[in-house]
Amino acid sequence: MTMDEMVVEHMMNPKNYGTLATANGEGMGKNPLNGEKVVIYIHVKEDEEKPYIDDIAFQAIGCTTTIVAGSMLTEEAKGLTIDGARNLVAATMQLLEKLPPEDAACSEMVALAIKAAVDTYEKRKEEADYPMITYQIANDCTPKEEEANENTAD
Amino acid sequence: MKTLLIKTHEAWLEMLMAGFMSHTQNKQVLFDFSDILFRHFTWIEHELIRTGESYDYERDNIPIKVSRLDDILKAITSRLLEIDLQLLGLEDKELAGRIKSDIDYMTGVLHRMNDEVVTAFSMERQFPGANLTDEARDALTLFLFDESYKEYELIMIYNYLKAHSDDAYLNRIFQILIDESFFHLKSFGDMMAKMGILAVPRVVMKELYQVEDVVQFLKDGINEELAAKEECRKLSDAVGHDSQELADFFTFINNQENYHIALMTDALAHYAKEGNG
Repeated sequence: MTMDEMVVEHMMNPKNYGTLATANGEGMGKNPLNGEKVVIYIHVKEDEEKPYIDDIAFQAIGCTTTIVAGSMLTEEAKGLTIDGARNLVAATMQLLEKLPPEDAACSEMVALAIKAAVDTYEKRKEEADYPMITYQIANDCTPKEEEANENTAD
Repeated sequence: MKTLLIKTHEAWLEMLMAGFMSHTQNKQVLFDFSDILFRHFTWIEHELIRTGESYDYERDNIPIKVSRLDDILKAITSRLLEIDLQLLGLEDKELAGRIKSDIDYMTGVLHRMNDEVVTAFSMERQFPGANLTDEARDALTLFLFDESYKEYELIMIYNYLKAHSDDAYLNRIFQILIDESFFHLKSFGDMMAKMGILAVPRVVMKELYQVEDVVQFLKDGINEELAAKEECRKLSDAVGHDSQELADFFTFINNQENYHIALMTDALAHYAKEGNG
């Protein structure tokens, strides 16, 4: 499958990249094997009947694929209620089950960071200083072929 | 002074991007001006360190998508004029005078510069003189985005380490690594512009340049350079059938990584000798 223009556009101009000074929830998705991570910042607007994410931002230490996933998923999450954001994470994780682990790892990291941000937001309603929650991914972004080479290198 | 640092950071990158957009003799002038603005950035950073003011490398996103060079030159000129205003608050008047003199000259040259059509955002993803397969084109696209950011990240990290070190031996190594990363960033940026996918590298996260353990950073850095060598080799193979010029270029970049590894190993040994590790 070749890259389409929309993906290249996300590479050139990632949406929502940066931090959010007004954030009332932050969460991290992390790859424990290579140190790559994604931090999601959300601002949940609370003076509504159903609170919703009215602003979102992300930063990442990772590859371009992670940036594209962050750009796309944060766009999807913007405007969603808390339940809506949880459904987005669940639907993304379900989709990722169909992909090889090395292709799923980057998007999983972003999805888990959104989940962590929502969970942190909810915890902070009970305890204002609750620390940022971090979830670690289950997939590994090292292609199997490379992994085999690494394991046999010695 | 922090605002001055941010504005100068943004102007430096914006000028560099304008250099990538140009197809004429303007290119080298814009690159030279971006180098001058980077030096201003380091001077302001030293002033912040000297006065004990905390700072970081945060900045706003820089919109660069234009169809005429004139448009980006006007945006740069406005940013330079904002810097000029910010200079009024700079305590070190001699430093303010030096920067102002450069800005006055640069704005004059930018004003007289000939306009050009900009094709750096066409998204055509064709490399001039090379008939790349879809697979090779995608591999090259991904590589350029990954590595142009990586080179910018390295410039920021080594610059931060250099700004906070008094060790002349290490600073010599850091400066060489900064220069090398500038060369790579300029090479990759030029290729991105030719392919119509030019983009400003994203903001570097604080924890990357505010390095707590330099020895570990250097060890990780050597492993990253080894990984980058592998990426260059793969890319050289991927584009080799379609373009000997590109294959040769990526083999050259691959070989340059050996030099970076040697420099970082040298820095590690120096740290061990000085008992810094």
